[in-house]
Amino acid sequence: MLRRYSVHLSLATVGGLIVYLAHQEYISLYIMSVLMFMGVNIIMSTSLNLVNGYMGEFSCGHGGFMCVGAYVSSLLGVWLFAGDKVFGAPLLNPKYTLYAFPLLILVGGIAAALAGLLVAIPSYKTRGDYLAIITLASNYIIISVIENIGAIGGSRGFMGMKQLINAMGKSVDLPWMPIWVFLFTVFCIWLMRRYISSTFGKGVIAICQDEVAAEIMSVNTNKIKTITFMVSSGMAGIAGGLFAYILGYVNPGSFNILKSTEVLVMVYLGGMGSLSGSVLSAILFTILLELLRPLQIVKWIVIPLLLIILMQFRPEGIMGNRELGDIFPKLKKFYRFK
Amino acid sequence: MLLSIENLCVKYGNIQPLHGITFHVNEGEIVTLIGANGAGKTTILYSIARLPPPEAPRVISGDIVFQGQSILQTTPSDVVKNLHLALSPEGRRIFGNLTVWENLKLATYARAKEADLGKEYDYVFTLFPRLKERRNQRSESLSGGEQQMLAVGRALMTGCKTLLLDEPSMGLAPVLKYELFRKLKQLNEEGMTILLVEQNANLALHLAHRGYVLDTGTIVAAGTSAELLGNPEVKKAYLGG
Repeated sequence: MLRRYSVHLSLATVGGLIVYLAHQEYISLYIMSVLMFMGVNIIMSTSLNLVNGYMGEFSCGHGGFMCVGAYVSSLLGVWLFAGDKVFGAPLLNPKYTLYAFPLLILVGGIAAALAGLLVAIPSYKTRGDYLAIITLASNYIIISVIENIGAIGGSRGFMGMKQLINAMGKSVDLPWMPIWVFLFTVFCIWLMRRYISSTFGKGVIAICQDEVAAEIMSVNTNKIKTITFMVSSGMAGIAGGLFAYILGYVNPGSFNILKSTEVLVMVYLGGMGSLSGSVLSAILFTILLELLRPLQIVKWIVIPLLLIILMQFRPEGIMGNRELGDIFPKLKKFYRFK
Repeated sequence: MLLSIENLCVKYGNIQPLHGITFHVNEGEIVTLIGANGAGKTTILYSIARLPPPEAPRVISGDIVFQGQSILQTTPSDVVKNLHLALSPEGRRIFGNLTVWENLKLATYARAKEADLGKEYDYVFTLFPRLKERRNQRSESLSGGEQQMLAVGRALMTGCKTLLLDEPSMGLAPVLKYELFRKLKQLNEEGMTILLVEQNANLALHLAHRGYVLDTGTIVAAGTSAELLGNPEVKKAYLGG
């Protein structure tokens, strides 16, 4: 009984604790924002792991999908619920923001998934290096398209999302952003877990191992690739939407190739094909980035150096392709996580 | 006639491995294709399974007819799903980082909605009891013979009625080889049609009802197993005198 619900219980406790602490302002806004970026990074790294780790393709334009999600959900949110010089007065009463917010984020995710579809189609024919180039190019295309639309701010960026956050706070006085980030992070990890343990998900792993053999076993590899790409980029879109609302401001520069590389580093750091590895490495990497912040630009020498050292001494990443339960079998006694 | 290959010519780029192959397989038969390396045996099986290039070649002329219909336009997953024709490929090609159980489960991909799969898992596990013992082990940790059994078991789990086997005895110890072939005979007695490609011509001809001998993309001899075993040229070239 306890074993069955232990994961739910511990999640509820952690979530409740964070919300309580944030509400009482026991933790500073800075630490709160680091925690929220941790959630965003967890979603980013687990979703990229789906394509790069589990499916064995090499996508390196994940930042682009994040950008699509961020812009779509912020533009839609500002258009519907906040006054803005581009869109004019809000279309709907801002007091409904609270209920519509998860939908806004999800719509951003769906838009990013559709962008992912465009990348999925070339993946039918190409793999490896060629696909890496295609995804890289799509990252650049997305960024430059947004940079060149003056109406939404171009490269200066787009803002106004803070109004929605304030509107939510007015409806019910709770720190809503940490709550949403927490819920979406849990949702994304749960979705990944379900996806990978289904027969469909075994098909994803089979494609990674041997695409032809998978085809012989009646696996429709094109369908799996399409859906997996869409799920992965959709989750990146969700992360992007959350990122935009946490900052209250988006600009295309924050989703460039450096962002995509950051996510790649997190995936390789955690281990290809390990969900818990991705979560762990996203947490560690976020902390590391914050600790190295005083170094400023030098941190982009230190972090790649760490990556080189990691590849030398532990090329499979922190967890390899195992999960937490495989390394500490005793843990399995305490939880059942499906 | 269940499966008939009619004057099949195929090409990999500019290389033509098959020069007009014609043969057929009747329902309930075991038919074997024997021949030296590079004779085109695997190419034939890949063509039947309709794998896309670059794995399988392009068909330039001729036809592959299954149950009276040309299958040249069928996709690989439909070959398995609708025609119940499964290939157990050369070199096993099992999914090493999945467990034995997951490998079998994956093979039911196209028919995950069918309710009665439990019986079929049991059937595979009674046919190959070793797999049952190791069902939760990663399949890369199995021995070669066990991997081969998994490859055959996996093909069976697709719900196939016709089994294409590519070099099932490759790399197996003699004891395991005979054990596997006994299982194949048992499968055939239960109604499975088998097209067997094999280097070990002696063993293959003792199992099969009929056989075809291939040499560099053409069929050079055909007949019942007894005829081929008695054929002096076949004996000399493939059976070691």
